[in-house]
Amino acid sequence: MILDSLNDSAKRGVYSLQEFFVLAGKALGFIFVKPFYTADLFQQMDAIGVGSLGIVLLTGFFTGMVLALQSAVQLQTFGATDYIGRLIAGSMIRELGPVLAGLMVAGRVGSGIAAQLGSMRVTEQIDALNTLGTDPIKKLVTPRVLASLIMLPVLTVINDFVGILGGNVIAKFYLGKPAALYWRTVFDQMLSGGFTLHYIPNDFIQGLAKPFVFGGIISLVACHYGLKTSGGTEGVGIATTRTVVTASILILVVDYFLTQIILALFPS
Amino acid sequence: MTDEEDRRGKGERRVPNEKDETAMPRRARDSGRVRAAIRTELQEVAGENEDKQPSPAEASQKSVIALENVSLAFEEPILQNVSFTAKEGETVVVVGESGTGKSTILKLLLRLLVPDQGRVRIDNEDITHLTFDDALKVRQKMGMVFQGAALFDSMTVYENVAYPLREHTTLDEDAIEARVREKLTFVDLEPDKVMDQLPSELSGGMKKRVGVARGLSNNPEIMLYDEPTSGLDPLTTATITYLILKLQRELGVTSVVVSHDIRSAFRMASKIALLANKRIEFFGTPEEMTGSDDPYIREFLGGF
Repeated sequence: MILDSLNDSAKRGVYSLQEFFVLAGKALGFIFVKPFYTADLFQQMDAIGVGSLGIVLLTGFFTGMVLALQSAVQLQTFGATDYIGRLIAGSMIRELGPVLAGLMVAGRVGSGIAAQLGSMRVTEQIDALNTLGTDPIKKLVTPRVLASLIMLPVLTVINDFVGILGGNVIAKFYLGKPAALYWRTVFDQMLSGGFTLHYIPNDFIQGLAKPFVFGGIISLVACHYGLKTSGGTEGVGIATTRTVVTASILILVVDYFLTQIILALFPS
Repeated sequence: MTDEEDRRGKGERRVPNEKDETAMPRRARDSGRVRAAIRTELQEVAGENEDKQPSPAEASQKSVIALENVSLAFEEPILQNVSFTAKEGETVVVVGESGTGKSTILKLLLRLLVPDQGRVRIDNEDITHLTFDDALKVRQKMGMVFQGAALFDSMTVYENVAYPLREHTTLDEDAIEARVREKLTFVDLEPDKVMDQLPSELSGGMKKRVGVARGLSNNPEIMLYDEPTSGLDPLTTATITYLILKLQRELGVTSVVVSHDIRSAFRMASKIALLANKRIEFFGTPEEMTGSDDPYIREFLGGF
């Protein structure tokens, strides 16, 4: 009995994974196939990018400030407070910027996408698209995935910048470091990680590759759970919760492996 | 003094059927009235249907929709060996109790589902094993009206009705607007009033009508309706039924209607398919159905 139920749940898991990869393959493949739903793409870029700007600015700024505050205490014991800019820039650009922006967008946009597509599924709007001769993946999933792939790196850059700015505020008013010194150490950090193709700092590659992947994870997980919603409004709630939990966990897990890969491919 | 007391006073004998009626409990009496009304209606419909008798030319009409020995099961069997055909211009109404797989038939026709056994033919083309892209093309021949209208709630009424045109035609914006106005007028809506409204601002009946207009906008050969009258008040039900009849008569569209509303079914059907026990228990004209001695059919009709 227990084995049977384990067998069933394993089969369901594998099937769901297969569905996810089929959806991902189709959604990404359709980016290059006509017709292009450009209006939908811009609408999604606005919803995902511009819509998330507020929370990204807030979380970035306060994370930068708290990071600087905590680090300042430690650095003071070593008399190394001049290097606070390096520490903030390194942490924000490589790790905190992408991961925080990813988690914020997973919470805000991922849940929104899952709820919207889930509602469309339970009110037969997805079936309506199909019957009107439109592929729902092309019309609904591809613009959301593409918009996330574009906008998450943009949001991350903004997040990085305001985080470093938050660090600047603490460096100036808590440690009394001049802004010029702070920003010089920030740039020192950016240039210290080595370059790819002579001009691209490795920190940037790490800091931009991650949100690109996270954008894909968030949108695809949200669309996957949204499209397979069943069971009315309760199903929409379940799809939304699953999306946020799965996307958040995946972001943290993938972040680790991605860091390993990037460090191996682009050594300092 | 009531008539009855008056009669008693005069010692008159009551007419037997009057006695029956007054002796009956209220509910049974109401039910009797409803049945009488349905009988009258069916007689009227039978009269109308006499006009619809196929001419020799019509008798050789081509079959537009055909289900051939279709079986489908998910975890349990849903349909077993189901067959019926709809000829050009006919309206086939699939009736049956809730949960008997009526809506599944529409999904099979749209090739949203693929049967485990049997074939589905649209315009004599076997659509059972088409690729996803080819299935999308076949669907363009069909207009579908969903139970809850399934209008895209992020779009206005105009954009909803224009959607199939934008997707599948190269019409310019003026031509699209003209078509949208024409279809909204056809479903008795005032284009200027409703075009800019969002579906959430419409009543249930209006949503259904916009759903019909959207289904019609690409001038399909086939219209499919999933419970077009469910959840509507009697007047709106009559309006939607009239609309489906109008489509059949004025545009000659072949239709399949899934419904549990037997009264509307009799009004609009050329043929009725009664789905029960996963099979088509009856397929024929409304008159043949009312004339049937089959106990299940009698019970099914009597239930209304």
